[in-house]
Amino acid sequence: MAIGSIRDVFKKSDAFLLGLCVLLAAGFLVLAGKSAAEAGNFFTIDNLFFITICLLLALTFIAVPALTMRERGINPFAVPDGVTPARAAEHVHFEGGVKLFINVLGGLLVLTVIEVVLAYVHVPLTLMLTILIGLSLVKAALIMAYFMHLRFERMSLVLTLVPALVICICLLFIVFPDSFRTRDQRAAPTKAAQGQHSAETTTAH
Amino acid sequence: MSTEAHVVHTAATPANEWDGGAFPFRVGHRKLGMWLFIVSDAMTFSALLVGYSYARAASDQWPTPFPFFPSIIFSTTMTLFLLASSFTMVMAVKASAENRLKAARRWIFATMLGGLTFLVLHLIEWKHLIDEGLRPFRLADEMAEHWPQAPPLFGASFFSITGLHMFHVLTGVLYLGWVALRISKTRHEDVEISGLYWHFVDLVWMFVFPLIYLMSVNYNA
Repeated sequence: MAIGSIRDVFKKSDAFLLGLCVLLAAGFLVLAGKSAAEAGNFFTIDNLFFITICLLLALTFIAVPALTMRERGINPFAVPDGVTPARAAEHVHFEGGVKLFINVLGGLLVLTVIEVVLAYVHVPLTLMLTILIGLSLVKAALIMAYFMHLRFERMSLVLTLVPALVICICLLFIVFPDSFRTRDQRAAPTKAAQGQHSAETTTAH
Repeated sequence: MSTEAHVVHTAATPANEWDGGAFPFRVGHRKLGMWLFIVSDAMTFSALLVGYSYARAASDQWPTPFPFFPSIIFSTTMTLFLLASSFTMVMAVKASAENRLKAARRWIFATMLGGLTFLVLHLIEWKHLIDEGLRPFRLADEMAEHWPQAPPLFGASFFSITGLHMFHVLTGVLYLGWVALRISKTRHEDVEISGLYWHFVDLVWMFVFPLIYLMSVNYNA
């Protein structure tokens, strides 16, 4: 009992000290990054010296936990393949193959390139906005349908989610008339004032 | 009473599945929660984009300062990285569905790499604009000279919209890192939910990119 509890204390202090080493190593890495980022000129003796020292210290601190873990055969990154206990009772529903996803990615990339090329074609602003939003909607639909798996979900979920997102787009077009009105209202008085001004000048002459 | 409730909960197909005790959407409550969050977040972003569009359409002039290099090249590369990371994420979900956890984790790391590349490129782009003198409520001197009638809201719209999106990318990378590290303890649905969030970040950029960048191309530079 007593020996067991002493072992526990040692285990805990081990874990604490190793954790501290990892933290310190991370701290020195951050320091190295900071001095690299803030140096006006990267290739100065001072800067290179500071970065080298910080990296060396980080290496020193990370060496102890790394060696300990290797000695004890602990690999925190080991992952078992196959059904883990957490997944045992789960019913997985997944559709779509690699080919389909590559096709969708290809479609998205092509649409993006078309958008960028379109941005360099001189067309009226409203037409360009319509085309860009239209292409973006196609891209969003592709992402939602295949990447977000919505095409393979039940229709009730689709009918719950999609209307809300459609309304988001409609908002954009609902406020456009109002913003044009704001601009025109501001423009109108200056025109009237100009007209009045020119009328005054003609009467004066 | 209690036996009645018991029957409703265990029945495979209740008389009316919308009466409760069933899964009418055929997804778990966490996944439904993420979908509802995505809808509300889409509304946040569309409010910002609507505000930007209003300010722009109501102004006599609006700066279109982005040259082909570096802005458009950078933002296009960022878009390609984000799309590629969406693809790697869907591959991660596929691997997870087939219980190939090692492969799933590798695909998630690839996704995080894509996200981090996006972040770094975007921060370089931000630094470039800030160095030019662009502030949330002040145009850079060069822009103010070119577009004297323009309101100073260009910086506010640019920084707030792309900043919120960048914050989403950052939290997405952290979230994916958390999922990747705990992959042997997660259920498949958890991986799928993190995928939903990541694809949503990608989806938002599909609107931010054309509206912010492609509508503000400077043809003369």
